[in-house]
Formats: sequence, C-alpha cells, structure tokens
Amino acid sequence: MSSSAILPLVVLLPILGAALVVPLARVSERARSTGLVVVTVLTGALVVWLVPGVLRGEHYSIRLFQMTPTIWVHLRVDPLGALFAVTAAVLWLLAVVFSFGYMADGHRKNRYYSFLMLALAWTLGVSIAGNLLTFLVFYELFSILTYPLVVHEQTPEAMRAGTKYITYIIIGGGLVLLAIMGTYFLAGAQEFGTVSYFESAQVGRTALLAVFWCFIAGFGVKAAIMPLHGWVPDAHPAAPAPFSAVLSGIMVAAGSFGILRVLHNVFGVELLRELGVALPLTILAAITVLVAAILAVPQNNLKRRLAFSTISQMGYVILGASLLSTSASIGAYVHIANHAFMKGTLFFCAGIFIKRAGIHDVSELAGIAKRHPVTVAVFTLTSLSMIGTPPLSGFISKWFLGIGMLDAEQPWYLAVLLGGALMAAVYLLPIVYTAYFKQPSGAVQRLPERQGRMEAPWSMLLPVLGGATLTVVLGVLAWLPGLPLSLAKLAAETLP
Amino acid sequence: MEVIDLRPMLAPALSLACGIIVFLVGDRPFWRRFWSLSAATVKLVIVFSMLPGVLQGTVYRYSMIEFTPGIGLGFRVDALGMFFSLVSSTLWLITTFYAIGYMEHEHERARFFGFFALCVSTTVGIAFAENLLTLFLFYEMLTICTYPLVVHEETPEAMAAGRKYLVYTLIGGVFVLLGTAVTYQWAGTLSLAGRGILDISVGTQALTLLFVSFVIGFGVKAAIMPLHGWLPSAMVAPAPVSALLHAVAVVKAGAFGILRIVFCVFGVELLRDLGLGVWLAVAASVTIVTASLIALTQDNFKRRLAYSTISQLSYIVLGAALLTPLAALGAIVHIANQAFQKITMFFVAGAIQRTTGKTNIHEFAGIGFQMPYTMGAFTVAALGFIGVPLTAGFVSKWYLSLGAMESGDWIFVVVLITSSILNAAYWLPIIYMAFFKISPGTHLRIKEAPLLLLLPTLVCAVYVILLGSLAEVPGMPLSLARTAVEYFFGQ
Repeated sequence: MSSSAILPLVVLLPILGAALVVPLARVSERARSTGLVVVTVLTGALVVWLVPGVLRGEHYSIRLFQMTPTIWVHLRVDPLGALFAVTAAVLWLLAVVFSFGYMADGHRKNRYYSFLMLALAWTLGVSIAGNLLTFLVFYELFSILTYPLVVHEQTPEAMRAGTKYITYIIIGGGLVLLAIMGTYFLAGAQEFGTVSYFESAQVGRTALLAVFWCFIAGFGVKAAIMPLHGWVPDAHPAAPAPFSAVLSGIMVAAGSFGILRVLHNVFGVELLRELGVALPLTILAAITVLVAAILAVPQNNLKRRLAFSTISQMGYVILGASLLSTSASIGAYVHIANHAFMKGTLFFCAGIFIKRAGIHDVSELAGIAKRHPVTVAVFTLTSLSMIGTPPLSGFISKWFLGIGMLDAEQPWYLAVLLGGALMAAVYLLPIVYTAYFKQPSGAVQRLPERQGRMEAPWSMLLPVLGGATLTVVLGVLAWLPGLPLSLAKLAAETLP
Repeated sequence: MEVIDLRPMLAPALSLACGIIVFLVGDRPFWRRFWSLSAATVKLVIVFSMLPGVLQGTVYRYSMIEFTPGIGLGFRVDALGMFFSLVSSTLWLITTFYAIGYMEHEHERARFFGFFALCVSTTVGIAFAENLLTLFLFYEMLTICTYPLVVHEETPEAMAAGRKYLVYTLIGGVFVLLGTAVTYQWAGTLSLAGRGILDISVGTQALTLLFVSFVIGFGVKAAIMPLHGWLPSAMVAPAPVSALLHAVAVVKAGAFGILRIVFCVFGVELLRDLGLGVWLAVAASVTIVTASLIALTQDNFKRRLAYSTISQLSYIVLGAALLTPLAALGAIVHIANQAFQKITMFFVAGAIQRTTGKTNIHEFAGIGFQMPYTMGAFTVAALGFIGVPLTAGFVSKWYLSLGAMESGDWIFVVVLITSSILNAAYWLPIIYMAFFKISPGTHLRIKEAPLLLLLPTLVCAVYVILLGSLAEVPGMPLSLARTAVEYFFGQ
C-alpha cells in the first residue's frame, strides 16, 4: 500500500532535522529554530495523518531490510503505536519550542538540539516497530543516545545522574535483549499483529516464566517499576527542563510501552491468565504507585518531586494493563498520553521557575504566584488534573482504570487508585498553596520588579499554555474521534 | 565441486614476492610504498576473484610438493578459509595505508614494511592451508615474521615483550606440531577438507589429550586464559602492528586454528560424543568475563584494548565450542566483526598517540572536541562491542546467543550478555572522557589526525555499521560464514 511508504519518513525526517542543526546554526540562530520547528511539525503532521486510517482499521506496514533470514526491520502502525507516536510528536513540538527560551543562554546548543531530534526519531521508531527486533533497535538507540541530553548541564550532579542513568539502562537493555533472544528462540520469527508470539508455540512453563520476568525486569528499569526506578529521581532534576518533560512523558513511558507490547503482542491475554503472572505484576505496580507517591511528599526539589510523581503515575499504566480487562487497558493506554502532557506541562512550569526566578526548591516558591500568575495558574490546573479532578484529562484515565478494576472484579485496587490520587494531592497541592498564599520567600523578593513585559518569553509560555489546553481538551472532549481515547479504545479491542 | 586452480597458491606467493621486493628496494620511499600496497592489493584482488565461486560451493585447490606420500604442501580454498582470507586481506590493505602514514618518521622502515608484507603472505597461507602440516608451517612463519614488528622500537621494553612473545608462541607451536604428528599417526591423513578425520576408536582419553594439546597450541595465539600473557606486553609495538596482531592476523590465526581443529580435524559429531565442547566453552567463558574485568582496571588505552581483545577472541572459541550451527555461524562471523571493530579502535589509539602524544585514558579529557572524527569512529566501534543493534557486534552476539540457546546451555547466553554489559563499562568511560569530561564553555581547537591516519579509521567505522545493518546482503561475510557452517554441519 502506497501510504505505508511514508512510515520510514516518520523516522528519517527527525534524523534529517538532527543533521540540519549544525549547518542551519552556521546561518543563524533563527534559522536553526525555524528548521527545528518545521521538521518537528512535519513529523507530527505525518504521524497525525496516519491516525484516521488507523481508526478505519487500515494496516500500514512496510519491510525495510533483512536482519536475519527470517527477521526484517519492519515498520507497522497499530492503534497503540499510533497513540504513542502522536503523543511523542506533539510533546516534542512543545519541548522544542520551550527549549528556545530555556536554552537561550545555554551552552553546546547544537549538541542538545541534534540529540533531541535524534531522540524523537528513535521514539517514533519504537512506536511503529513491527516486531521485537525492530523494537529493540530503536529502544537501544533511544536509551543510549539520550545520554548527552541527560548530562547536558555537565554539572557534577548531572554527570553522576548520567552515570547512574546509563548503568541502569545498559543493564536493563541487556535483560531486554536476553528476553528477546529467548522469545525468538522459543517462538521463532513473528511480527506484532493480531496473534501473540507465543500463541501457537509449544513452550514449557518455566521457559515462559523466565522470558516474561526477564522482559519485565528489563523494561521495568525504564518504566521505573519499583525497585528498579533508581535513575529516575536523579536524572530528572539534572537534565534541562524541556528534556525532563520528555524524559518523564515519553522516555519512562517507552518502558511501559515495551511492557504493553510484551503483555499483548508477545504473550497475549490468554497465556498470561494461564501463567498467572499478571497478579504479581499488578501487585508490583500497586506498590510502585503508592510508595513512589509517598516518597514524593518530602522532596523539596521541585523536579525531584515531579520525578517521583512520574514513577507513581507510570505505575498506573502497568497496573491497568496487568488487570487484563478491556476498560482497565483503555485507562492504561490513554494515561500514557494524558500523563505525558500533564507531566510535560508541570516540568515546563518548573523550567520557567528555574530560568526566570532561579528557583529549584518548593520552599522557595513561596509567593511566586504574584510574579508568575500564568505559570502558577497552569501548574494548579495541571496538578488538579493529575489528582484526577473531573473533567480534566487525568480524570479520564482514572475513570477507565476504576471501571476496569470493577470489571476485573478486583475492587480493592480502587484503594490503590484513590490512594495514589490522594497522595498526588498531598505532594502537589502544597506547591500550589505555597505559591499563592505563603509570604514571598527571599528568592522571590530578590527578583527584579519587572522582567520585560511578560513573566516569561513566548517560547516558554506557549508550550505551557498548549499543555494546559491539551489537559482540558483531553478531558472535556476526550470522546472526539482521533483523540487518544479513541485510539486507546481501538487498541484495547484489537490487541491479542 | 573441486577445481584445480593456480590462484590459491598465487595469493600467498605473489604477496611473498612483493614482500621480498620491499626488502630489496630498501630506503626508496616511493617504491617501498608502491610494492607494499601492491602486495596488499594483489592479494585482495586474487582473493576476491574466487569469492563468487566459493559462494556457489566451488572449492579451489592446488597441491605443490609432497614430502612423503600423503604429507605435502597444499592449498585449498573453502568457505571458512575464504572468509578468513577475505577479512585479513581487506583489512591489510587498509592497514597498509595507515602504516604508511603512521611510520613516516620511524626508523628501519624497509624492515618494517618488508616483514609487514611477509605477514600478508603467511596469513593467507594459513587461511588456504589444505592440511594440518601446511597450516603449521605458515602458523610458525607468522610467528617469525611478526617478531621484528613487535620489537620494532628496539627499546628494552620492546625487546622484553618480543622475547615473551616468541617464548609463548613457539611453545604453542610445539604443541601444534605434537598434535599434528599424533593426528597423522592415528588418522593416516592431515587433510582439512572433511568434517573430521579422527575416529572414536582411538580411545576417549587419547583423543581428549590430543584435543587439549591442539587447544593449548592454538590457544596461545587465540589468547585463551591463562595463555594470554604475551598479548598485553606486545602492546609496545607501533599501532599498525598492534592492529595487525590483534585484529587481523596473529590472534585470528589462533582462533582460526581452533575452528579448523573443531570442525575439520575432530568434527562436530566426534566432539559431541567426547563431550569436550562444554569444557572448551567454560574456558572461553571464564576468559571472556575475567579479561573484561581486568580491562576495566587498565588506564593505558592500548592495554585496555589488549584485554578487550582477549575477551572478544573467546567469543569465537565459545561459538566453536558450543557445536551448534547458529553458534558456529556467530563464531565465524565474529572473526570479521571483531576485526573491524578492534582495528578501528587501534587506529584511533594510534591516531591519538601520533597527534597528541597521549596514551592513558585519564588524559583523554576533551579529546572528542580536538579529534571529533576520530572519536566519532571510536564511538561507533564501542557501540559495536556493546552490541547495539545495527552494528557488527550485534550480529555476532545475536547468533552466538541463539546458538547457546540451541545447545541448551542458557548459562552461556548470560555470559554473553554480562560481557556486553562489561563492554559498556569499559568503553563508555572513554567516550565520557572524550566528550563530556571538560567543563562547558572550554573551547578546544580541532586538531585532527593526518588524513592518512584518519581515512582508514573512518572506513573501518563505516564497515562496522555496514556489517551490522546489511549483514544479510549476499556477498557480505555472513553469507560466506553460512556456506561454511552448512558444510561443517552437513546441512
């Protein structure tokens, strides 16, 4: 099919963008910015253009080249992949624009933008990978080639965080590779599709269990399932804010996305029920949701607190998926998109506080609402969404998750859901309170009276406002066809 | 189909002739370069001319002299030999260019390039050896020809390293000779054309001893622990020589010898019956992990490379020892993949040493900004060793691991994965040093290596990616390795 031919473009376009960074920067800073926006918008448009077809049930798929006699590098779009790709492309656009303001006085910007664009390419590759080996290719590239972004600031803390990051990720990657080789060995070469890898394979129970837990441990490192989450709280504060947004919204979610692929495309619901592995995974996820939320509360560094929140929120995705009920799965899938935009927005706000006010810690935010009314308002709105207040996007995820728990006849997980939401209130609302109602802190008082006409440059405010709009739209208008919920529904119905 | 053809003999003979001419032209730079490059090119052309035939299953052979009936000098080009000679002659041409650039201001260049060209000849002799005796002959000649290269600097340190090298490899040679003699006694032939010439009726114990003798003999050059001692010391040699020792000829000759012993002398069936594969696999695994751990502690760049070589070579031994088709495929193809990755790294080490004079990793801070292309090539090779998909290293690791699963011993898969994590642990800090160590805002001027050093490095780095992403294209090393494996396993 001819439209399938654009799939390689989805990956190649951002790579082209990365290659253009240096030549364009030679021309001027403005040329580079324009080029980056154009490439990101084009990539986003390509991905969005695929959505109507995916919703109609068309199968875009293309084989590029052979890696082994039976395995090809195979690109394929299914509803779940489209959901992840659209989320990534849109969040990336916000992050790129935010970077223009955030990185204005930064160093080594060419390196930053090149690797940011490459990371987009790898993410989209992960989303549209058509089989496990293709998935692995992009997953590994995504893991390793984002190191320069994590350590971008090159402060001693950033370097330490980077070392921790790469150590965790390489070991996780090794486990994933082990599991993938095991799968190919046991099940033979197959593709992601309507049938799972192991459906027709005659494989012993022990081997299946070994492969399954290998997968979970490998992807769990990136998905920050406790106790494998160690890199997350260090990497987020160290990275530049726009990349923290991507790190939380997409990078951690890529781990969860991997787990979703394993649950459905590799094992399939039937087999998981038979093996009885879903329950321990659910319990792990539930622990992650609650413990991470509790750990978030005492964090004074804002980005660190948000990082723990990410761990907790990503726990929801695994929790929902591992319940093996359709509604819970819908909740889990749609939460990937909703969380990405919410958390991205929160990190953008944190970035404004850092760059415009030099504030990293929650305690110093006291009274900042007077200087940054828009930012704090958006922060408040997004926090409410994160807690699960209707009609915002966070509520939609929670609603489907809750229904799914009832469907699966495991209502006690509702306690986890509500507990997580309660704890989100406990760690997010005090920030809002501090910003609005506390006496201005020293840091805030020292700020000059007026910094130009606005509280932040447009390049930083626009992504914040865009994120806020998405939070509202994905809540109020969640039912619109083409939005993440429709893709999540279709994904939940069609995945094996 | 077997064809009598002159080319298997011509390939080593012509490059031998070129080598001798290099000696004769002495200190005339143009003619020395001309004949050095001719030696490498002629060999490459002859070897390549046989590639299409070999891929279709043709075997070229040429017998020269018979000493006594059944024992003689003979050449035979099968898929495995073709594979080894193809890799070594491709790399040799690239290395010759690099050596011309590297050795520009060195002393005794006539000696250096003369012996360099002789090594071309002996390596291809090893690859094309029709029987164990021919193999042994060229194996020993290689030792002798590389000695003047190892001690080239003629410092006391170099002389000591050279002595150590000779002691180790000559003792190894004795074991090979012993094995060869005993094999002839028992099998009545030394041919490497079949799938095993020995028979179980000789007795399990005797065969075990014979196998051990061969493994010790070839294991010295293949640097199986604890026979690896010479390799890190030999690092005093100039960079092109290290590249040659490590990536192309010497160590690979050892690994190639082990492949020949496993597949052609004993044969897969016999080794399975004897149950010797597992022991060799365990020895290889221990080497893989131990050498990686030692590599972690080395600050001298070339010494770290040396221990990495020791670790990587045992991948080949491990693959052969597992006695499954996929593992054998991984082992053979790793000869090429490791070669291109390691030679890239040695070229980088040499380029850094020539351009900045730095040899220790802790001095490399910021070097990525001074030599961006060189360090870029290094990064590609390092990612290959870690086994990132689409690089050459991934292909080897993939087939070796699948082969280990096929053999039922999952523990070896864990060894391979551990090894790739350890590879990350000792390569990534160098990249970190090069690109991320210096504080932001420092501006270093670009000071790249001379073109003659840089281009071969980049070519090899590109090969690393091509070998990984286009592995399935016919004519790439993998297809040749597959032909060899199909023959050895009788498929």
